Amino acid sequence: MVVQQQHNDPAKAIAMPAVKKKRKKWQWYALLFILPSFILYTLFVIVPTLSSVYLSFTSWDGISTEVRYIGLSNFEEIIQSERVHNALRNTIIITVALVILENLAALVLAVLVDQVRWFRNMFRSIFYFPVLLSGIVMGFIWTIILNYNFGVFNQLLIMVGLESWMKDWLGDPNYALLSIILSTVWKSAGYYMIIYLAGLQSVPGDLTEAAGIDGANRWQQFRHITFPLLAGAMTVCMVLSMIAALKIFDQIAVMTDGGPGFATETLTYIIYKVGFGEMRQGFGTAMALVLFLLILIVTIIQVKFFRKREVQL
Amino acid sequence: MEKRRKVNDVLMFMATLLLAVIFFFPIFFNLMSAFKTNPEIMRDAIALPKSLNIESFKYLLTETEFPAAMLNSLLLTVLSVVFMVLIIPMAGYAIERHNRTWTRVIFTFYLAGMMIPFQAYMIPLFKELKMFGLYGNLAGPIVVYVAGSVGFGCLLYTSFLKGVPREIEESAEIDGCTRFGTFWRIVFPLLGPCTASMIVLQGLGIWNDFLMPMLVLPSGQPKTMIVEIFYYVGEFSSRWDMIFAGTTMSIIPILIIFLFLQKYFVKGLASGAIKG
Repeated sequence: MVVQQQHNDPAKAIAMPAVKKKRKKWQWYALLFILPSFILYTLFVIVPTLSSVYLSFTSWDGISTEVRYIGLSNFEEIIQSERVHNALRNTIIITVALVILENLAALVLAVLVDQVRWFRNMFRSIFYFPVLLSGIVMGFIWTIILNYNFGVFNQLLIMVGLESWMKDWLGDPNYALLSIILSTVWKSAGYYMIIYLAGLQSVPGDLTEAAGIDGANRWQQFRHITFPLLAGAMTVCMVLSMIAALKIFDQIAVMTDGGPGFATETLTYIIYKVGFGEMRQGFGTAMALVLFLLILIVTIIQVKFFRKREVQL
Repeated sequence: MEKRRKVNDVLMFMATLLLAVIFFFPIFFNLMSAFKTNPEIMRDAIALPKSLNIESFKYLLTETEFPAAMLNSLLLTVLSVVFMVLIIPMAGYAIERHNRTWTRVIFTFYLAGMMIPFQAYMIPLFKELKMFGLYGNLAGPIVVYVAGSVGFGCLLYTSFLKGVPREIEESAEIDGCTRFGTFWRIVFPLLGPCTASMIVLQGLGIWNDFLMPMLVLPSGQPKTMIVEIFYYVGEFSSRWDMIFAGTTMSIIPILIIFLFLQKYFVKGLASGAIKG
């Protein structure tokens, strides 16, 4: 995320001794203002991140004082481990599915909320509600809804006569990942909807109106005018939804615990399991760094790719 | 033409309504199930409660450690947010108004942190918290929450400050106010909407957080609401009514705050995201 700042200070050009003294003093105040956040941030974000890099070359167990340097072994294990490959595959499936589905759902919801004639604010709030829930709470609600014996979903299937479609949605390895993906779309779509909505509302009405007079129908107006102007919002939503998907954790913890078998185990879940369940924190940090690099690379590629198709008014 | 437009409007409304029902159902299901007895939930999950049964709430509040966990959640959220408000606006102000190379470097340094996932530094973080004596009490998570929100907070404040005129601060200074006084007495009140956005968005994240309180708070004692709910799902797997009562108690405060402060959720989100 790049933020550009302007730095033309007219007062600087006509600096007089008194002003100069004041400016100097301001410098000390600025330092004082920034210092607390700087110390906290450095100490509790940057230092541990750098320690991660160091620990990833060790076989530390998280408890003992002995930290043994083992070179690149952790990374070699990551490359060779079947379990990591499986988790990587799950993470990629989840991420690709969530980025596409969440953005599609969010775009549809945003257009509907923008166009609907009545109860606009109420609809917006309802679509946003799930965003307010914790992943744990949301995961529990869906665990019960998708329960094989007592769940609402299977009950609904019986009611409409689709008994053959009934599944143990979270207990069947073929459907567990799908269930997690779809319930996460439910939880997050409202978040991106708000961003798309802000984008939609900044599209000037006279542009689409003019196109309408020229004979473009509503779909064509959306496709050729509104949609290209949403590219900025889309970049933001794509990047944010991707980062969130790569970090997915809470709902997996409560819905499947990575199972059945390893069917829903993701990279973040392995980091947690290996680091705190199996007490192999050296290996855990190595995995964490791989995840960080993955996020970094994909974000940069995405920003580069999507910025290109952005249109300025 | 007029008639077609009307038909269109109605169709669109119906489609939106249908989606709204689907979106709202799980939340409604949660609130409704909290007032059902366990056999009622098992027998017919879709049916409305026969009577308003508050036994599960009573049990949760008197027989378990849920109230202590609620207090922890509240303390964690409020204290973290208070420290954020004490520290972050000041930094954002200095970065925006004292625009020099070194402040710009610090700003970039802060923003870079927004890319680092919590999992990437959580393992050494716990070691560090132990070293500082912050492990096993509320101070640990608070410090980490405040540190972790520096990037987002500064981004929010600097973009908001660009729209606040400098003249007021300058005249206050000419009147003999120190920078410190100017900031807290003149500038900070003007940043109200921005502060509100930061409070609701960060507060929500902390209230709902799971991994950090679970790992950092001492075991064997009540942690936070969300962590307790997670444990109950494992322990009381046959007492769904009770867990639903717990989730309801975690949702209700958020819903109330959301209904009153809706615009700050939306504004903070849009400005934090679009400017990024």
